Amino acid sequence: MRLLSRFCMVATVVAAVSAWSTGAPAADRTVTFSWAGNVGQLNPHMYSPNQMFAQDMVYESLVRYVAGGRIEPWLAKSWDISPDGKVYTFHLRDDVVFSDGQPFNAEAVKRNIDAVLANRTRHAWLELIAQIDAVDILDPFAVRLTLKGPYYPVLQELALIRPLRFLSPAAIPESGSTVDGIKAPIGTGPWKLVETKRGEYDLFAVNERYWGPKPKIERVLVKVIPDPNTRAIAFETGEIDLIFGIEGQISPDTFARFAAQKRYTTGISESMGTRSLALNSYRGATREVDVRRAVNHAIDKDAIVANILYGIQPKADTLFARNFPYADIGLQAYVHDPAMAARLLDAAGWTLAPGATVRMKKGELLRLEFCFVGSDAQEKAMAEVIQANLAKVGIDVILLGEEKNSFYARQRGGSFDMIFSNTWGAPYDPHSFVSSMRVPSHADYQAQRGLPMKADIDRKIADVLVSVDETKRQALYKDILTILHEQAVYVPISYVTSIMVHGPKLANVGFGATKHEMPFNALTLN
Amino acid sequence: MLRYILHRLAVLIPMLFGVSVVVFLMLRLGRGDPALDYLRLSQIPPTDAALLDARHLLGLDRPLLEQYGVWLGKAFQLDFGISYVTRRPVLDEILYYLPATLELAGVALILTLAVSVPLGVWAALNREGLPDHIVRGIAFTGVSVPNFWLGFLLVLCFSVWLGWLPPLGRGGIERLVMPAVTVSLMSLAINARLLRASMLEVAGQRHVLYARLRGLPERQVIGRHVFHNALLPVVTAVGMHIGELIGGTLVVENIFGWPGLGRFAVAAIYSRDYPVLQCFTLLMTGIFVLCNLAVDILYAWLDPRIRVAAVENAA
Repeated sequence: MRLLSRFCMVATVVAAVSAWSTGAPAADRTVTFSWAGNVGQLNPHMYSPNQMFAQDMVYESLVRYVAGGRIEPWLAKSWDISPDGKVYTFHLRDDVVFSDGQPFNAEAVKRNIDAVLANRTRHAWLELIAQIDAVDILDPFAVRLTLKGPYYPVLQELALIRPLRFLSPAAIPESGSTVDGIKAPIGTGPWKLVETKRGEYDLFAVNERYWGPKPKIERVLVKVIPDPNTRAIAFETGEIDLIFGIEGQISPDTFARFAAQKRYTTGISESMGTRSLALNSYRGATREVDVRRAVNHAIDKDAIVANILYGIQPKADTLFARNFPYADIGLQAYVHDPAMAARLLDAAGWTLAPGATVRMKKGELLRLEFCFVGSDAQEKAMAEVIQANLAKVGIDVILLGEEKNSFYARQRGGSFDMIFSNTWGAPYDPHSFVSSMRVPSHADYQAQRGLPMKADIDRKIADVLVSVDETKRQALYKDILTILHEQAVYVPISYVTSIMVHGPKLANVGFGATKHEMPFNALTLN
Repeated sequence: MLRYILHRLAVLIPMLFGVSVVVFLMLRLGRGDPALDYLRLSQIPPTDAALLDARHLLGLDRPLLEQYGVWLGKAFQLDFGISYVTRRPVLDEILYYLPATLELAGVALILTLAVSVPLGVWAALNREGLPDHIVRGIAFTGVSVPNFWLGFLLVLCFSVWLGWLPPLGRGGIERLVMPAVTVSLMSLAINARLLRASMLEVAGQRHVLYARLRGLPERQVIGRHVFHNALLPVVTAVGMHIGELIGGTLVVENIFGWPGLGRFAVAAIYSRDYPVLQCFTLLMTGIFVLCNLAVDILYAWLDPRIRVAAVENAA
């Protein structure tokens, strides 16, 4: 019994010690949000582990991407473009300071862009970085960007969250390069990162020196919660105030459960990208356009949207939603019509022998390998529905659920018949996404590789990116998207959306134009 | 005795070396490519050029033997490299997250002992009676319920329905209760059953009979002659439980958003953070071996027969 009392004593001491350590800070005008990990050092010019939503809170760009793909002035109040499309002159706002009090001016712009250019290989995925030839200071508030050749999406890519946003010159290391880190995360944006506790939270406070309308709340506390179920429980128990963002924050069925409860406000954004399947035109039966069209007709997207996505994402009929630039071109959807799919397959010589369940042609079974991320419950459920849909028209689908790394290796190498392949979403769609179709390490290139007109598509993509004539650009995009649609190399499934859930404490929670924009600037507390 | 302890500690060095070779090779012989994960997390399209750049950044472009040599050389200086994901020194990260895990595992161990010992004694003293059946029920449930499921059930009950306890995070005893219970339940159940069986076995031995014949009070018979001797197998089991408890935190930390090493390691597994996984495995090996050594020493201290055998073996 003496032993027992000792145990009790030790337990009490341990409990007292743990009670002593305090929890995360909280204040009245603080909004609590959650993210899967810490936001990182917040180097505006670098990638992982820096989180894009947080980089967007702290740093700003010369121009801003708004809904519908339009570009608005931001840190640059206006700009001129030379007739040949190679020289951009930006006139900067003169009332902007960094949160450390340093002025934002042409010098700061040049030092930041030079820091990015010093590390070109890391940014090679972004065409603009390869295109920039020189950055010159014209006067304290005017900067000239000279390109090696004309490239129309300059403004779209300047608006991206990384790598072309601006760090206070005082926070740039003496070497002038930011590749190995920065001194402190100091930007011009409405928020400052004030505290990070690894594995627990990041705390943002309003930047008192912000040049634009200041946020109505004082602080944003971002708790680290990697698991979607834990996040849902944290929300229900008041540990966090807001669930916001694209897929993965919570599961669609949890969202549907919250939406059914009157005490919560829920919302779904406009389309922010497309979830689609890529069909390999270079391999197996999907080499034939009729087989690809038959697959398009056989899949019941309405059922997928209603039963797996709980209506959170609308059905997709084309590779890009109509609210994207150059995408509203009146393409005819492949409607769900199994009979039509069967006729197409019959006409292509893939016939069903009496009593057989799988079609054959010249002794070969109509069998397709369908790759997805095995641990992704949603993709798995969709893959099973699609397998059942295709079985009805005599196509045998082998499901290959693998872990992410293998899945991406298949996308890169083209070892698939069908594979999930999402577009990049705003602001990358359509130009960056279309541009990537020319690069062999993308699923899109692999899927299109067998098309007889692939060289022609690639030429048109190259043309559209350097075209400075808006009408010509529209015509080229129409051509590219029409060919891809008619060749049925994609099966668009749904348009990806952002979701939000909050309680009565918050108001004015709105969606931004891209999936990484958070609603903290306009949000108010009731 | 000291010689025995030194002997055991000396064995630890080749063991850690062996583990490091096996883990290093196992990670790299898999199909995955950490550079691809790095680009995925960075949201950079995985072009061939980007992959080459990422492999260079992560040091994966060198021959396997050279990679291991460089790693080993630095590891001797306690430099376990930079995490692929967080870009911080691995040892710094691991030492940062370790205290939270030790706190959780430590409290779970105390809970295990504080509950399982009285339960085991209670069941043994009331063999085939109601207490025995109750303890049997608890033990059966404890062994059968997977800890991740139990975790969610506790959260549903005490956080969502009753609103008594916060569902996640660290800080304050109220945030420690549910994770500690979840981690400890299985060990607790096993321990209670083990102690019950051990007590009954000892109670049937002659020295207990003689103690009673000598007219010692029942309290002394049970306390000194049965309980003390019955503790030996429990001590062995506790050595195992420490490993089990730390392993259990891997899952439980994710459910309860506990900022410990388990959650950090699970994230590292998903993103193929090789330097973190190598250091984590070595640390865990060290902890397991040292815990077992501690148990053996305790054992030898409790039972002179073992002490003598151990010293003779070491000699």
